[in-house]
Amino acid sequence: MNSYYVQILTVTGINIILAVSLNLVTGFTGQLSLCHATFMGIGAYTATLAALKLGIPFAVALILGAISAALFGFIIGVPTLRLKGDYLAIATLGFGEIMKNILLNLEITGGPMGLRGIPKVTNVYVVYLCVTLVIFSLNRIMHSRVGKSFIAIREDELAAEAMGINTANFKILAFVLGAFYAGLAGGLYAFFFRYINPNNFGFMKSIEILSMVVLGGLGNTYGALLGAAIITVLPEFLRSVSPVIAQYRMVFYGILLVAMMIWRPQGIMGENKVMKRRGQAA
Amino acid sequence: MKFSKSLVLISILLIVVLTAAGCGQSSSQSQQQGQQQSSGGTETIKIGTLGPLTGNLATYGVSTKNGVEIAVDEINNAGGIDGKKVEIISEDTRGDQTEAANAVTKLIQQDKVIAIVGGVISSETMTAGPIANDAKVVMITSSSTAKGIPEIGDYIFRNCLSDEVQATQLAEYAAKEMGLKKFAIMYTNNDYGLSLKNAFEQKAKELASVVDVETYNDGESDFRAQLTKIKSFNPDALYIAGYYTEAAKIAQQAKEQGLNVQILGADGFYSPKLIELGGSAVEGAVFTAGFFPDDPSEAVQNFVKAYKEKFNAEPDMFAAQAYDAAKILLTAIKNAKGQGGEALQAEMAKIKDFPGITGTTSFTEEGDAVKDVLILKVENGKFVKIR
Repeated sequence: MNSYYVQILTVTGINIILAVSLNLVTGFTGQLSLCHATFMGIGAYTATLAALKLGIPFAVALILGAISAALFGFIIGVPTLRLKGDYLAIATLGFGEIMKNILLNLEITGGPMGLRGIPKVTNVYVVYLCVTLVIFSLNRIMHSRVGKSFIAIREDELAAEAMGINTANFKILAFVLGAFYAGLAGGLYAFFFRYINPNNFGFMKSIEILSMVVLGGLGNTYGALLGAAIITVLPEFLRSVSPVIAQYRMVFYGILLVAMMIWRPQGIMGENKVMKRRGQAA
Repeated sequence: MKFSKSLVLISILLIVVLTAAGCGQSSSQSQQQGQQQSSGGTETIKIGTLGPLTGNLATYGVSTKNGVEIAVDEINNAGGIDGKKVEIISEDTRGDQTEAANAVTKLIQQDKVIAIVGGVISSETMTAGPIANDAKVVMITSSSTAKGIPEIGDYIFRNCLSDEVQATQLAEYAAKEMGLKKFAIMYTNNDYGLSLKNAFEQKAKELASVVDVETYNDGESDFRAQLTKIKSFNPDALYIAGYYTEAAKIAQQAKEQGLNVQILGADGFYSPKLIELGGSAVEGAVFTAGFFPDDPSEAVQNFVKAYKEKFNAEPDMFAAQAYDAAKILLTAIKNAKGQGGEALQAEMAKIKDFPGITGTTSFTEEGDAVKDVLILKVENGKFVKIR
């Protein structure tokens, strides 16, 4: 085991945080978000700027990043979470593009050049400490009244409302929590790679996170964890098998996703019954 | 207990990760020993290339890899370095930062390359550079033009044509060799045009005078307003910091207005379309370029021939610059007697006036290339090299 494996392990850890946090929004609460990488970016930029310009210590900068991402989650959540399904997805897509353009044009973010010279503070221990804390807190939330409300909203918003759940508030809460964890992951990312630019946090990254969640199984934290691990490790694994396969590794990756959706649409560890009911309704 | 299942899962995960990471630290030392041993006894010298070989930036990455292959073929056909063959290991980044970090770590840790040519795009070099620098592996990029790349560390070098360098050198050439005194500048309003304009203006003001600076946008076709204004200052030369389509139209409209000036430009001019669109108006235009495949010199013609034979394609600027970067690297490896690390870094820094196909190269203290940029001229509807 050398530092190459440690590196992949660390990236996997960061992706796990992203996937399980998106799973909270999309898997448990049923709100399709296409701007998860944007929250990650806000966290990354805030943490980096706090550390570089203000000299704030790493741990505090990480939390600041997560809080500012949560704040943006709230700002975007309030006006858009009245929208449903596809409409919400498009609104979050728009938010992602706006933020990317802001990051590209602000002076303080370094524009398209990004920010460099970030100290390398993140290591595999820090990342997995965060992974543990995130999964543990997510489990507590999902077993609480709040978590049950999230699931109720996903299953049937009208019925949830009839049961006295303030669906708008809980949807915003899910968004804010998801953004918080994504911001944390963003901070870890910045302090690991030592260089960030707006393109790291674009639409494609959001889709990558979403495919981790869908592959692992929507609505299952450990599914999201598994999905993140597979999607991070697989391209690297194929790279080392043989040069020929390495060339086509993105093709294998695509085939895997297509095959999954055909034979196991609920994902590896997904909740079968939920998807079935949706299938009938459609 | 309610959460016992998840707690067990988390603890298993933690145990696996922590043991694995712990092993990583102890084994990295034994690897360094292994590396030292192998550099003494193996038959091949391994170098890596890093760049996008798939995805929408693949064309740059593939050209770069091909250029390196030609340079390595040459040295292997000539018997290698001290009898050892050079082996290339190419890793794909898809132009993605995370993949670049993984790929460079793999090259260094798994394949144990002693040097790397890459990355291709600036953002991947920004991520991969610090990793290579920490591992004391020499890395030379042949196309990442962003500011601050050679400053990453002592082990990071760059061999490419930056906008600043080409504009500065053309200003020098125009003022000193061509004897031009009064410059007017027109630039396209983007990163490229702006950095060319700034560098040219600064140098031209130093050596002669700049009488007027005008701007335009790509895609525009009427430049008469700007040209009328420029004409009132009666300049000797017009520097167009932009691409060939607009440059050809500007040259034509300048001629129509009776503005008889020397047209100057940068590598954005370099396309047969310039002559096709500009006709007689661009005759005599002088501009800088990174690589000129029609250069009659033997080195260039050998490269073009070898490239066409191996890849059945015309070499572009990326291939030529990567070829030069690889040649510089291989020369340094030879001088370092096949050693990597500090010995190779010291030899790289010593490279001076290296005669390449993209100009003569030396490195600054930071590791950025200082080279004599090629200067081309339009003569009888053809490009010719004048420097």
